[in-house]
Amino acid sequence: MATAADSQDGEEATPSPNSSENGTFECNICLDTARDAVVSMCGHLFCWPCLHQWLETRPTRQVCPVCKAGISKEKVVPLYGRGSTNQQDPRDKVPPRPAGQRSEPENNTNFPGFGFGGDGGLHFSFGIGAFPFTFFASTLNLNDGRPQPPSAGTPQYAEEQFLSKVFLWVAVLFIFWLLIA
Amino acid sequence: MMASQNMDPAVAEISSKGIPNLNNGTKETHSATKRLQKELSTLMMCGDKGISAFPEGDNLFRWKATIQGPSGTVYEGLLYKLVMEFPSSYPYTAPTVKFETPCYHPNVDQHGNICLDILKEKWSAMYDVKTLLLSLQSLLGDPNIESPLNIHAAELWDSQVLYKKIVREKYNKDVLGK
Ligand SMILES: [Zn+2]
Ligand SMILES: [Zn+2]
Repeated sequence: MATAADSQDGEEATPSPNSSENGTFECNICLDTARDAVVSMCGHLFCWPCLHQWLETRPTRQVCPVCKAGISKEKVVPLYGRGSTNQQDPRDKVPPRPAGQRSEPENNTNFPGFGFGGDGGLHFSFGIGAFPFTFFASTLNLNDGRPQPPSAGTPQYAEEQFLSKVFLWVAVLFIFWLLIA
Repeated sequence: MMASQNMDPAVAEISSKGIPNLNNGTKETHSATKRLQKELSTLMMCGDKGISAFPEGDNLFRWKATIQGPSGTVYEGLLYKLVMEFPSSYPYTAPTVKFETPCYHPNVDQHGNICLDILKEKWSAMYDVKTLLLSLQSLLGDPNIESPLNIHAAELWDSQVLYKKIVREKYNKDVLGK
């Protein structure tokens, strides 16, 4: 697998065949190839510094220079080309380009949010802890009225395992509190 | 020791705030220059029929332009000279465009000032010299009679034969000196 630096070197070495031959990727304001490119909701391409300057120039009439559609700084989408996610030109950082919105992929059976900050140690103690809790649970009749526990490997099983770990920790903390108090 | 340590970030902050402000003007001029150079090279590579534009001397912010009267209109065959002045904030603000050749037209006053929305409140950063000149060319044959600068011309527009006669007379007198 190539490292980030390698792929960037490769990117620079590769000549861009049709960079500014057709005006498709030219900024509608400076007429040059768009840098720090953003696209308005109406689909028009600009450099972010150019568009920012345009919106600053006429704060009362925020319209797309091309189609006159209503436009706002918050509602532009940045375009990240390959190898261009970390823009290195500090001059144009004056107005930071709005970030892309990113939704997390749906996670399955993993609970990365759980834990008290430390990772390895806690997960390890969960592993041991799961058994005593099932012991507690059966003696305290917490499982009354529940359907048969799902078989290992299914998402339900993992979920139940997780829940029992949570309950175990609540129980452990409760006992700990009893001991201190 | 402490004082000097405390000073440094403050100084750095002031200078970092000061530099962009100082550079703002020159940077703006730089982007205007770059854009005007780009427009010039595009115009020279594929000039449109009926319009021309070129910087006056070595000043990129003042151009001389011409438009030909569109065919099929009373201005057919006439050539009008214009002056375009670009602010350092171009293209974020519109250039000033004036007729240098006296132009008898409802939307042009006796000093050559033009009343055209895209030169004022409808200006957009995507308009360039070419689109402006083409718009002015079509304005010649398609005036806005509702808000005239030259009321006389606006009132006469409907009687095209007489209008054409006056346009030609004035053009011959002002341009050709006849
Ligand atoms: Zn641009
Ligand atoms: Zn648009």
